[in-house]
Amino acid sequence: MSSYTIPVGPLHVALEEPMYFRVEAQGEMVVGLDITAGHVHRGIEALAMTRNFYQNITLTERLCSLCSNSHPSTYCMALENLASIRIPERAEYLRVIADEIKRVASNLFNCAILGHIIGFDSLFKHVMETREIMQDVKETIYGNRMDLAANCIGGVKYDLDEERSKYLWQQMERMKKHLDEIYALYCKNSFVRLRTEGVGVLSKEDALRFAVVGPVARGSGIDYDVRQKSPYAAYDRLDFEVQTENGGDVLCRAKVRLREAQQAVRLIQQCVTDMPAGPTCIDTPPEIPAGEAIAKSEAPRGELIYYLRTDGSDIPERLKWRVPSYMNWDALKSMLVGDKISDIALIVNSIDPCISCTER
Amino acid sequence: MQDVISQVKEALDGALSPSVAIDWKCDFKGVKTGWCKLPESDQLLAAASAISTMGGRLSTVTAYLAEKYRKQGRREIAYHFDLDGTTLTLTIELPLEKARVASLTPLFRNADWNEREFMELYDIDVIGHPDPRRLFIDETIEPAVFDGLIPYSTLINGASSKTLWEAVMAQNSKEQGK
Amino acid sequence: MFSFLKILVRNLIQGPSTDPFPFGETFTPEGLRGRVRFDASACVGCRMCEHVCAGGAIRFEQSESELRFTLWHNSCTFCGLCQHYCKTKAIVLTEDWHLSHRQEEKYAMVEQGTVPLAPCLGCGISMIPVADELMRVAYRETNQDIDRLRRLCPDCRRKLGIKGVQRCKM
Repeated sequence: MSSYTIPVGPLHVALEEPMYFRVEAQGEMVVGLDITAGHVHRGIEALAMTRNFYQNITLTERLCSLCSNSHPSTYCMALENLASIRIPERAEYLRVIADEIKRVASNLFNCAILGHIIGFDSLFKHVMETREIMQDVKETIYGNRMDLAANCIGGVKYDLDEERSKYLWQQMERMKKHLDEIYALYCKNSFVRLRTEGVGVLSKEDALRFAVVGPVARGSGIDYDVRQKSPYAAYDRLDFEVQTENGGDVLCRAKVRLREAQQAVRLIQQCVTDMPAGPTCIDTPPEIPAGEAIAKSEAPRGELIYYLRTDGSDIPERLKWRVPSYMNWDALKSMLVGDKISDIALIVNSIDPCISCTER
Repeated sequence: MQDVISQVKEALDGALSPSVAIDWKCDFKGVKTGWCKLPESDQLLAAASAISTMGGRLSTVTAYLAEKYRKQGRREIAYHFDLDGTTLTLTIELPLEKARVASLTPLFRNADWNEREFMELYDIDVIGHPDPRRLFIDETIEPAVFDGLIPYSTLINGASSKTLWEAVMAQNSKEQGK
Repeated sequence: MFSFLKILVRNLIQGPSTDPFPFGETFTPEGLRGRVRFDASACVGCRMCEHVCAGGAIRFEQSESELRFTLWHNSCTFCGLCQHYCKTKAIVLTEDWHLSHRQEEKYAMVEQGTVPLAPCLGCGISMIPVADELMRVAYRETNQDIDRLRRLCPDCRRKLGIKGVQRCKM
């Protein structure tokens, strides 16, 4: 059988952002892959070194749309670690609520796109419509449908009064029913299973070798979740289980994401119930000494790590972050080789790729 | 069960001589971060190998160059490893000019992208990298963009400009005059 | 498959979920982060909003007689950090999201305000009188003596403070 090279991307109908794949194929089968990145490299890390600590809260939130809240919250955690600032307990719960709301919306978005790629557009529309509840929640509580602007150094800059807590609770009750129904659909529907089961398999060995994180790792049986391994905010007091699947295929990753969305809804409700009254932010301007610090969080796509270095001024000497997608790209080599050309978009989507995050 | 601090100490003591000091910090949640500056940059491979044997994962790599380092003619790279939730950072010092460091790709597959990235941002050579191509920045752009004296954000027009504000102010003071 | 048919039928009966905008009203929750309003009478001139603004959308210009505030909406990201750090809430985000405009109108997308400077009652130096809003934050209620402090510069306030202490000692 003759082998040939086909270009996929950088602009592709099924993927929202630009990435170029040079695929080596033999007949219908992918035998090799090379990735060329850099189409949306914006130099945000360089920009962060010219902005003060406050400005970087807003700058980091604009790295990505789907995991936008994870960036400023982890960046603020790095500053707080460096300066030994303890945020008020209520702020810890409010940070969890913001992160989990974003997780539900982000995971549903990815699972909806899965429906679109396999040609099941009515499923795509149904999942997106369900996600719309979360968009309205974000708009009502935070004032924007994507960028929550929830964080500040030493806490959060929003609060939930009784009326809003009640509203949030009711919306989560609505979500529960929809999410249960959607999860059952992905598990049982024959169209979904036919196209996703056994496709794009990443073995546990390869998952470890490529050092993947988040739902990609957990879909391949790696029991690792930052919320449990290095607890932050209120996660040390909340009740949740790390979701894993052992198949390592496209369906397993989708199932992990959907179960995490279900669990996020329960976590939000726990926070609403458990959250103590009190201040939401420290009341003095933070003083950031010279030093270095690490902060980690579980973004919707997995482990997000921030490294901050300061010199005593109010501008970071170095601010570096590594997003979960960063390693997940390379692992596509393991997932795609041996699979069909027609499944490329589906498999690429299954790592929930974020290119603006990866390239910064 | 042996705790992570003594495990790391044992592993690094076994790999390096003389032994190195590790500074441990613990946050309010009990999450530990370890900080270790290696006296010699060529100790990196031995230290990383010990961490790999312990089951550590390479989280990321940060190269940096602050103004004060530039004056001192040196730069640093920090390697961040994850040990089941604990983060250990190994820092090495390199000269400002002709900086060279061994590749960690034989130990950690994901060092590949990290090393390609810092090679294009800073003037650092990685010895033994299997695929030392540019990662994000186009070949036509001069290398070591973060080392440059013109900030990268100015180069790519990412910084907000004076010209823009002049246009805003010109129009609005005109309208005020009417 | 049958289960999805049920969902399809249900969605069909429910009708469209989109708003009829621009022919009808659309969902605008209370607290939506939209157009910025500046209230010059509440501004104390601390310039924190300018300092925290990531986009560099805020600019102050000080002259002999006034402090001029300009915010250009096209650089604004509506993050609300300015509002968060403004103690007197001289700068607030409104729920007005009608910000679309023609290209030639772009530089007119500003919010401006002027804070007049006044001479210090003590030494006559040009200064921003402390805004009523800040007085309320600091003292809750004011009297004539406190009100006089509003129009004193920090140096003169300090001098007055020391005199007060001396009086007490005597």
